[in-house]
Amino acid sequence: MTNILKTTLWATLLSATAMTAATAADPIKIGVVTPLSGTYAGIGQQVRWGLELATKEVNAAGGIMGRPVELVFEDEEANPSVAVQKAEKLFQVGKVDFLTGTVNSGSTLAVGQLAERAGKLIATTVSFADSITADKCSPNVFRVNARAGQQSAALAVWLAKEKPQAKVFYLGPDYEMGRSTVAAFKASAEKVGASTVGEVFAPLDAKDYTQCVGQVRAARPQVLYTSVAGNDTVRLLSQMQEFGLLNNLTIVGASGTVTAQNLSAIGKAAEGFVTGVGYSAEIDTPENKKFVTAFKAANKNDPDLYGADSYGLIYAYKAAVEKAKSTETEKVRTAMRDLKWDTPQGEKTLRAGDHQAVQTMYVVRVTGGQFKIVGQVKGEDGIGPDACTRF
Amino acid sequence: MVDYLQFVLAPQVITGLALGVAVILVALGLTIIFGLLDVINMSHGEFYALGAFIAFGLGSVGLPFWVLLVLVPLIMLPIGYIIERGLIQRVFHSHERHVTTLLLTFGLGLVLEDAFRLAFGPNPHKPEAPIQGAIEVIGIYLPLYRLFLIGIGSLVIVGVALVIYRTRLGAMVRAAAFDRHMAASLGVPVQRVYAGAFAFGVALAGLAGVLLAPIYSIFPTMGRDFILLAFTVVIVGGMGSIAGAVIAGLFLTQVQAISSLYISPVWADPIVFGIMVAMLMVRPQCLFGRLGHG
Repeated sequence: MTNILKTTLWATLLSATAMTAATAADPIKIGVVTPLSGTYAGIGQQVRWGLELATKEVNAAGGIMGRPVELVFEDEEANPSVAVQKAEKLFQVGKVDFLTGTVNSGSTLAVGQLAERAGKLIATTVSFADSITADKCSPNVFRVNARAGQQSAALAVWLAKEKPQAKVFYLGPDYEMGRSTVAAFKASAEKVGASTVGEVFAPLDAKDYTQCVGQVRAARPQVLYTSVAGNDTVRLLSQMQEFGLLNNLTIVGASGTVTAQNLSAIGKAAEGFVTGVGYSAEIDTPENKKFVTAFKAANKNDPDLYGADSYGLIYAYKAAVEKAKSTETEKVRTAMRDLKWDTPQGEKTLRAGDHQAVQTMYVVRVTGGQFKIVGQVKGEDGIGPDACTRF
Repeated sequence: MVDYLQFVLAPQVITGLALGVAVILVALGLTIIFGLLDVINMSHGEFYALGAFIAFGLGSVGLPFWVLLVLVPLIMLPIGYIIERGLIQRVFHSHERHVTTLLLTFGLGLVLEDAFRLAFGPNPHKPEAPIQGAIEVIGIYLPLYRLFLIGIGSLVIVGVALVIYRTRLGAMVRAAAFDRHMAASLGVPVQRVYAGAFAFGVALAGLAGVLLAPIYSIFPTMGRDFILLAFTVVIVGGMGSIAGAVIAGLFLTQVQAISSLYISPVWADPIVFGIMVAMLMVRPQCLFGRLGHG
């Protein structure tokens, strides 16, 4: 009697397993853990728009290996602990094949550790922190967007060409991000011949930058590099303008220094600001124009780098799964290493050694209140050495 | 060396002075409200922000800065009056007045901050300064708007002091602060004096908001910017003292401005708070006594 019961139980279990095994028409599920509310909701919105547009296109063209793609969204509130909970839910309950969407670098690192334990792959399309694909790299984490180091390297190459042997002053917010961005750009700039005439770190949310303004004036630099962000940029640049400092000074900075969010508040003081980015809607190629038109038609908004990089990810995953002929973690990971695929900003390569995307970098300048492309740097010139030692 | 004096030190003293005047404007309202009502107004920073947002809202429909400078404090007056009569008076007579009014105003501040975010969005706005340009005096570069701020701020401060110490209205306010029962029995309408003083403090915060927006920009959490420094100024100057607020305001902002040249600017706040702690330990009554007591 017990034996019969056991056999039936096994049989039921087996048939249940057989039923859940993928058949040709089963959707491939991609989990998206991204901030849909809170401070970073604007970024999460772009991530969502980019992923949805690419998914719609892929499904219209027959899906991935004949299977449609399905996106499953969860709100991570830009909070690493929430991101981990939601990712766990998607891995365990939602049975997703792949996961993306994390914005905050802390969320990406935390969800990456979870993915290692769960034996799944994730990719970030937004996080900038170099460590994600350097000293804190993970065999289960890929990054398809440009990291902070690529942005500053691109800017340094432009600087060497436009302002050779420039005298540079550095001004950063006094915390981890500010100090690391200044150190990174200083290293890149000094390598191409720039000299340092001073550096100062102001507190985050500083009211007055006037003491910095005075020191900048006394040091007589030709170029000012800054990595302050948000409202701090509004104050810094408008106070520099107030003290008449912007006339003969080129201001360059991190990609988060002047953004669509604070550009209008800075106004004229932002004119001439130069930064390095991985994407701009201005890129003049047929692929990008097609992408921008489709994106605008679907979402009534221009794509930014987050939207474009998220859009590109779906095509990377498609290419990898079709190369691996499977959605299994091991096979997809192998297929993703050294994968080359086409994105709106041109061909990208996922470097096998650290899982970082190598791509053409763009240098943009604020002209007439809008970002215009003023230069580009080839992927291999901006990527820097592979610093990942874990795999 | 001359470079340093011209480009760094001298402008820093002047901008420190401008910041000082700005902080005093915020601190004056705070100290009057404390001196008279014995209420620690935790939402004072948000009233400063409210002034800036009202000015921004009215400015975007075309009202010029000079009109706003007068209009915004006038709008703030009834708002302050209603808040005092409608909210603060309700908990004022409780045994734990300090706790209840502190919590009430703290909550009000949180509500206002979120209201700004809903109404104007999280991104910063920056009105153009009405006076552009700068003058150069012996190589020292001075933006005109900062000089204007020092001038108009000084006028307001002197005006407030004159009203409090030289008019019949001021005498009623000081009497009510000294002993409200005695003042009431002598025919001072204490309830209305309280509400009026609160409204006046709130209007000063609003005026500071209008004046400072072109320099420090407008955003929902801007109220937190000055509030800690303003509280420190009020405490060092002697809670409720007007002269104390002026002297402490000028002194502490100069300490901030000059110290940030020699050590990392990050230390400017700890130094100022350190002075406050030292003051409370050595001389707990601080620089001056309370309003109505000296």
